Parts: sequence; structure tokens; C-alpha cells
Amino acid sequence: MHRPTPGRLVRAAVAVSAATALTAALAGCATDVTRPRVEGSIGPVFANLYVQQQALLGHPGLTPTAVATKPTCHRTTPGSHDKGAGSDWICQVGWTDGTGKHQNGKFELQVRSNGCYQAGGPTKIVGPLMIQTSTDKQVINPVFEFDGCFDTT
Amino acid sequence: MTIPATTATAPVPPATIDLRPVGRGRVVTAYRWEITKLAAQARTRATLAVCLVAPFVFVVLLDRQDRLPKDTLYGRWVHASGFATPLMILGFAAQWVFPLLTSLVAGDIFASEDQHGTWKTILTRSHSRTQIFWAKTLAAATFATLVLTVLALSCLAAGVLLVGHQPLESLSGTLLPSGRTAGLVLAAWASALPPLLGFTALGIMLSVLTRSSPMGIVGPIVLGLVMQLYAFLNGADTIRHLLLVTPFDAWHGLLAAHPYYGPLRDGTLVSVGYILICLAVAYTALRRRDITGG
Repeated sequence: MHRPTPGRLVRAAVAVSAATALTAALAGCATDVTRPRVEGSIGPVFANLYVQQQALLGHPGLTPTAVATKPTCHRTTPGSHDKGAGSDWICQVGWTDGTGKHQNGKFELQVRSNGCYQAGGPTKIVGPLMIQTSTDKQVINPVFEFDGCFDTT
Repeated sequence: MTIPATTATAPVPPATIDLRPVGRGRVVTAYRWEITKLAAQARTRATLAVCLVAPFVFVVLLDRQDRLPKDTLYGRWVHASGFATPLMILGFAAQWVFPLLTSLVAGDIFASEDQHGTWKTILTRSHSRTQIFWAKTLAAATFATLVLTVLALSCLAAGVLLVGHQPLESLSGTLLPSGRTAGLVLAAWASALPPLLGFTALGIMLSVLTRSSPMGIVGPIVLGLVMQLYAFLNGADTIRHLLLVTPFDAWHGLLAAHPYYGPLRDGTLVSVGYILICLAVAYTALRRRDITGG
């Protein structure tokens, strides 16, 4: 009954392309993955996991506050302005270990656009993939590689 | 099921049955018929059976290999805690399994009447187009909800029974107590319902517009994959927020040590938007359609 006439089709096409253009123009403004968000997430996540690893290795009693992580993150791709998802995020994390000594490690991050990331630490400092617990069990080293997510809204 | 029930009640009031048009103008009656039709379909039963069994097979296969599926969230913990299994499968299912599961029914429920040429038959009965539309839509939504529930419970059961109920790592690096974790896992699965119903509405719309079951079933899967690709290629975030696959990630907030619900709120709004627009288009198309053939 209501056959789409060429005129209606043209009008619909114009409306759709206008909407697309408007959305594309708006799109340039905001980005979900920012440096403060990445730094604000990896610090506490690493602190929590480090406490877990130390407990597995037989050094309980450490708290995330005592670990006091200080992350500094950036993207290695020039012109990225330290924003946006990518596998080129690098975080230098400084923290205090159980003996009160200062530690520093470089973590490579693969950050996804949904706000989740996978971080890999330096094996020399954080240990290998599998570690032996104080009770002689082989378990996954929680800080060798780990996942984290932050709020993107 | 319905036929024996009618014959059983028939002897009691023999004359009144014909005088009173049973179920005239009632969506519920049409809905019951749609559910009966769905329950009789081999495809529907097979889908539910697969959802029930597949997680157990998956966990057994996963248990045999040393390499961990670390690319998916919680993949690295699948051997350490049974609660990681349902969350890993949830992350994986969002890629194409959810659109497939719902569109198997939603993409076919309107188009199958075209395929069998039965539109005229069902519309000359006592139900209007509007009633048939809502009955079919509700039936498709019921199936989507049922499939999600079955899959969620089956994944949780497979993980807990075959791996165990060890404490689970939160996404903030803390351990969650096993008592609370089962509830969180189910809440995470429940958060997939709004976008799943969004894909149901998308399947319904394509089913009505194209009048072809293959289009109705494959269409949502292809659109879902295109949206995934857009997110994967790091397209602009403003547009990514409007995609129907983004709400499938909203559960991440629930698994944080300090839960955040922003993505869940936005995702639900986006899903509702898709549902409203797709159903409005489908409804208008069905109302305006000139059904003379078949």
C-alpha cells in the first residue's frame, strides 16, 4: 500500500547520512581509555596481587597500603597522547616489598577499548609463571601476568 | 498437550463451547500456541539440550590441556577455581554465541509463516495482527530468557562440580569469598539479558522485513560480528557505546572489589533503545503489509 517512492528514499538516505556524520563528528571528542584511569587501576590491582603472591611464598602480613605502588604509564606510539586502547601501554611501577626495600618494574599492558587490560611484569622481579608455595605446591604466580578492568563511564 | 485437555473438558459443557469464542482477542492464547509450536520444534529442543550439555564437555576438554585460554578474561584461572569457568564462557559467548542462540528462534518465528504460507491461516482465526505480533515477540523473548538461564546454570554447575568452589580472583586482584561468588556469577550472566533481548528484537525485525528465516537467523550474528570488529579495531568510543555488543561487557563492574554499575546502566539503556526501535519497525512493517498470498 505505502510503496516507498524515490523521493522518500532520498529523504531517508539524507537523514541517515546526516545522523552518521553528526555521530562521527561527536566521536572525535571523548576516549574511554586515559592515562589517569590506567594508572588508577594498575596500582591497586598490582598491590593486591603482590600481597597475595607474598602470602603464597610464605610472607603473610603485608598490606596493599604498605606496598604503596606508584605507577607511571604512557603509550609508546608517537602522537597517541597517552590515550586510547592499544597493546603499546607501558607502566613503570614502583613499590615497597616485604623487607622495606624499594622495587621498580616495567609492565607491558594490552589495554582493550572496553576498559580491561592484560599486564605482564618483568620475570626477574615478579617471578616465573608458576611458583612454589611455602607448602610445596605449584600454583599460578598471580603477578606474572594479570587482568584488570576499570570503569569507562 | 492442548488437544487432549480440550477433549477431556468437552463432555462437561457440550453446547456452550461453540457459542463462546474461546480466547478471542487474547494475546495469552496466541502466546500459548506459539510456545507449544516452539516446544514441538526439534531445533528448539536441540538448542536447549546443547546449552545444557556443552559447558560440561567444554570443561572436560579444557581440563585436559595445559595451555590456558588467557586471551579471554578469567581464562587464566579456569584450573584454579570453578567459578572462573562460567565467567570465561560468558566473555566468549558474547562474541557470537548469544546472537546465534536467540536468533535461532527470533529470526524464524515470523518468517516461518511466510515459508509455510500460513499467514492467511493464522490471521483468519480469531486473532488480530497486533495480537499475533505480541504473542510471537513474547515467545521469542521467553526462549531467549530460557536459553540464557539454562546456559548460566549449566556453566556454573559444570565449573563448580568439575573444578571446585575455590575462592575466585576479583578483577581488582582480591580474592572473593566462595559464598558470595556464585551470586556474583549469576548476576554477571543476568546482566547479559538486556543485550540478548536486543538481539532478539533485531532478529524479529529482520525476520519480518526480509520474510526469510536464513536472513533472520544469520543477520543478527553478522551484525554482532561487525559490531565486535568495530570495537576490536578501536573505533570511536562514542559510537562503541551505542553498539549492542558493548553491554555484554557490563558485568566486569560487578566483579571489581569496589563494584561499579555505570556500564550496566548505560548498557541497559542502549539495549532498551534497540528493543524499542527494532520492535517499532517490525510492528509497523507487519501492520502495513498486504497479506493476500498463501
